[in-house]
Amino acid sequence: MKLTRRNFIAAVIGGVAGIQATPLPWKITDDIAIWTQNWPWVPVPSTGEFSDVSSVCNLCPGGCGIAVKKVDERAIKIEGRTDYPVNPGGVCPVGMGGLQLLYDESLRFTGPMKRVGLRGAGQFTEISWGEAFDMVAGRISGLRKKGTPEAIAAVDGNPEGTTVSVLIKRLMRAMGSPNYVRPPSINDTYRMGNLLMQGTLTPMAYDLENSDYVLSFGAGLLEGWGAPGRVMNAWGMWHDGNPAKKKTRIVQVESRASNTASKADMWVAPRPGTDGALALGIAHVIIKSGQYDSRFVSDHSSGFEDGRSLDGVNHIGFKTLVLEKYSPEQVAKITGVSPKTIVSLAKGFVSAKTPVAVYGKGKDSLNGSLYEFMAVQSLNALKGSINRSGGVLLPDPIPLSNLPLLEVDAVASKGLKTPRLDQAGTMRYPFSDSLINNFTEVIKKSSKSPVDTLLVFSANPFFTLPDGGGFKRALEKIPFIVSFSPYRDETANMAELILPDSTYLEKVDDIVWPTGLQYPLYGLSKPVVEPLYNTKNSGDTVIELSRAIDESVGSAFPWENFEEVLQVRAKGLFDAGGGLVSYDPDTPAWQRQTAGNGPKPEYESFDEMWEGIQSGGMWYRPVSSPRSWKGLFNTPSGKFEFSSKLIAQAIENYSNKISKKAALKNMGIAVTDDEACMAHYEAPKTGSDSSVYPLRMLPYEMINLASGWIPSPPFLYKTIFENQLLKDKSFAAINPKTAARYNLKEGALVAVKSPAGEVQVRINLSEGAMPGIVYLPLGFGHTAYDEFLKDKGVNPNNIVQAGQDPISGYPVWWDTPVKIVRV
Amino acid sequence: MKKSNDHGKYKYGMVIDIDKCTGCGTCMVACAAENNVAVRADQSDKERTITWMRLYKISNGKEFPHTEVSYFPRPCMHCDHHPPCVSVCVATATKLDFNTGIVSQIYTRCIGCRYCQAACPYGARYFNWWDVFPQDKGMDRYLTPEVSPRMRGVVEKCTFCHQRLMGAKTLAYAEDRQEIEEGEYVTACTEACPAQAITFGDLNNPEHEVSKLIKHPFTFRLLERIGTDPKVYYHSSRDWIRKLGDNFLPGEYTPVVNKTWAEEEWSTKPGRDEF
Repeated sequence: MKLTRRNFIAAVIGGVAGIQATPLPWKITDDIAIWTQNWPWVPVPSTGEFSDVSSVCNLCPGGCGIAVKKVDERAIKIEGRTDYPVNPGGVCPVGMGGLQLLYDESLRFTGPMKRVGLRGAGQFTEISWGEAFDMVAGRISGLRKKGTPEAIAAVDGNPEGTTVSVLIKRLMRAMGSPNYVRPPSINDTYRMGNLLMQGTLTPMAYDLENSDYVLSFGAGLLEGWGAPGRVMNAWGMWHDGNPAKKKTRIVQVESRASNTASKADMWVAPRPGTDGALALGIAHVIIKSGQYDSRFVSDHSSGFEDGRSLDGVNHIGFKTLVLEKYSPEQVAKITGVSPKTIVSLAKGFVSAKTPVAVYGKGKDSLNGSLYEFMAVQSLNALKGSINRSGGVLLPDPIPLSNLPLLEVDAVASKGLKTPRLDQAGTMRYPFSDSLINNFTEVIKKSSKSPVDTLLVFSANPFFTLPDGGGFKRALEKIPFIVSFSPYRDETANMAELILPDSTYLEKVDDIVWPTGLQYPLYGLSKPVVEPLYNTKNSGDTVIELSRAIDESVGSAFPWENFEEVLQVRAKGLFDAGGGLVSYDPDTPAWQRQTAGNGPKPEYESFDEMWEGIQSGGMWYRPVSSPRSWKGLFNTPSGKFEFSSKLIAQAIENYSNKISKKAALKNMGIAVTDDEACMAHYEAPKTGSDSSVYPLRMLPYEMINLASGWIPSPPFLYKTIFENQLLKDKSFAAINPKTAARYNLKEGALVAVKSPAGEVQVRINLSEGAMPGIVYLPLGFGHTAYDEFLKDKGVNPNNIVQAGQDPISGYPVWWDTPVKIVRV
Repeated sequence: MKKSNDHGKYKYGMVIDIDKCTGCGTCMVACAAENNVAVRADQSDKERTITWMRLYKISNGKEFPHTEVSYFPRPCMHCDHHPPCVSVCVATATKLDFNTGIVSQIYTRCIGCRYCQAACPYGARYFNWWDVFPQDKGMDRYLTPEVSPRMRGVVEKCTFCHQRLMGAKTLAYAEDRQEIEEGEYVTACTEACPAQAITFGDLNNPEHEVSKLIKHPFTFRLLERIGTDPKVYYHSSRDWIRKLGDNFLPGEYTPVVNKTWAEEEWSTKPGRDEF
């Protein structure tokens, strides 16, 4: 056919009409969509039988109940349990993303390993468990044969009182080394404070849910303090219903507009490190107006009024101290908080029915200041909020059985007599258990490390310690490091040998009394899936290791396995009577009021109880009603002590050795000995030149980023804002006024320099930042793990210049002098 | 104007209480875990990181120490009136289900033109620039078989955890029930919120908590005036937060003052400022 104009037009029109009529183009579009989506690498998750496994989250000391959804043997999702007393239904984002910590293979050690590359390079080769045990045991028994078991040291990050930490301590004793240290935690501050003021050894028990006025001094209630599932649930409850008729008021004392500060009913921003002074200012107003609980103060406290001791010396009391030195005007100068605000805080606190003053420093994973805690606890005492519903409760310690007494051999008893490297418990730091910063310093300064073999359990001190990178330098000096971490963290990368633990979803483990909970709770997490790799529960590893070392050490561990030890300890729970192993969400544990020994037990035999604990994951005693005052305070005076006699004794003991002046100076106290027994404020001694370092750096914690030894599940990086982390740079939040002084704009790249080092960050102009303070987020800046976490931002711990907290000796990590230099 | 969804039997929606929201991000993580959302090594580029549920940080903009921050958790709004994404989709890959009010996304139909992404006023849609996640890490082991993993080249978004509705229905039928109860079907974010800030339910059912909450004067929606009729509501007693729900010109925003609701007096700022 000839191509004429007519034919051409007919063909075009016909073609267009034809295409409209035929389904072909639509079919092709659709097919292309499908073809281009059938990539062989797009996973097709296998299906199977669905099930739910109830367990307890062990990623932080909070211990929330979790329900893990499974398909056949695969765990597919973590959800909060509604049948667990700590967290009725919710968990924090870290707990929610926990499956990535189980399944992301590049985060984990897949079996026992030996380092082949340079220290820190993270190159390992797999060995057998037998070889691994032989290597550690050989090293340790060598030291014991040489008669220097004290050259073995352990860093243990398992929460105090958990069975695995009890076993690690026992192993250290059996081997003969006193050098067992722990990373600092807020629980250390609570423990010392409670011991000094109340004579109790029970964990801190804040009855938040029953309180009508929560005055939080720095506790990051919404940043992950305590058991996040519990606190956030309480938060929701507090805001239920008509906001005008809200029962509970929350006041946050913190220098930055954190989530807690912003969401609270009132935010008070004192300068960092002056919370104690603010509390004393509030105490001043309360005492001056005479609105304190005179019954509690006169009947159940000592050290409030001035007094004369047996030797005829006059001592000032808390009242005089506070009235003389902490008037709102004086406190305003220290804290920067106006006298008017201090008065209104005092008014709010005394006019509430059941107020509670809570002390904390962000999450619970870093320590606080002992005197600050005492100041805050003094407020509770003034208002009579101790041993009262809605205040601070004083339950008995959790009745776990002690393991049988350990008889150590000659080598060990000689080793145990050597002084601890960190000086904890000596006259200088009489109330401290463990001072890892001192431990670090000793090793750093030595020409030959006094520690030959370091065992690291559930800790990543390289990353988490606020010590300006000190622990890293100490590690470089230690000849032999053994890590028991399940994860390829910074500390593990420095180790010669890895004896990997299983993750919390693969093993049985216990949680003893979640931080801040107002009633005793023993949680038991259980294997949700079989161990994926050739890993071993560290509890079992310790027992097997003891046997590999020698017969004498091995005989200290007469148990078949870790689970048997758990049962031996749990025996005490049964013997103590009343306890529950199941939870009904309709009667929250904080609402139940039970007297004496707790509720009628839900079991008749130990086996029945243990079965209950294993299936439900809990043993607890609901809140008890206020207890009889008799014998409640185990202090020298038998009362709540505003002025601690234990401190007075400690100062006296030390003064008998050296002069009183030297004793006070060594203990880090700048005031008189009378004042040193009470809560008071001392300006931190940084010793740096403020003309060189005009700003202060304060690390801050976020609930949506793990800053402890556990890596962050990669999911969490979805929740990080682009003005907190952008590509490989994290941001320093500073006030626009401060930034203007240095002519810095949003996103400017700067170096934050302290005497301890420098880090490079971008600037985030944030109105919520206190002028003059540089806020750096904790949790970024990993140099280990995989591409999800590595080399993202900087770790503020690397530039922290930590002073020492008076008496306790714990690091003062909230007061680092810095300057900003544009890059 | 007649609403397109009036004849549907169910109309699922949610109310997010900003007073209760703690900004923790558990909803985002729960959503990603529930729906097999991809994870990438660099997730700081927020335009390319997939977050069906996303927190937006807001601030009252006042100077220190009067600054407050807060968050808008933003899932897909499941617009009830001509959802902008539905009307622009050339491949009929997204549609509004009149019977449930859920705006769906059919991945295998999606041709990846990203028109819907441009049309969505809430930025709730995300394009898969890459395949699910880095290979050989074993992370596919936690994927749930209830939600199909998406492939490179398609758009995805919040589905109100549609699979949970299917599950709840199946369970109801198995128990010989025609209707599902309130609370039997909730989204993963609702369930996960540790502060119980999210309430989910049927907006057509006056008995459901959501239907009561949306009548409250403190309840508002994002960009309400563009007329998309979102089924996600927010609730806050703080005035500055409500004001940020839309782009008000000076004088356009009227604060909520002393309105009665459910026989209770409410004032606009019972919270922070007067405390």
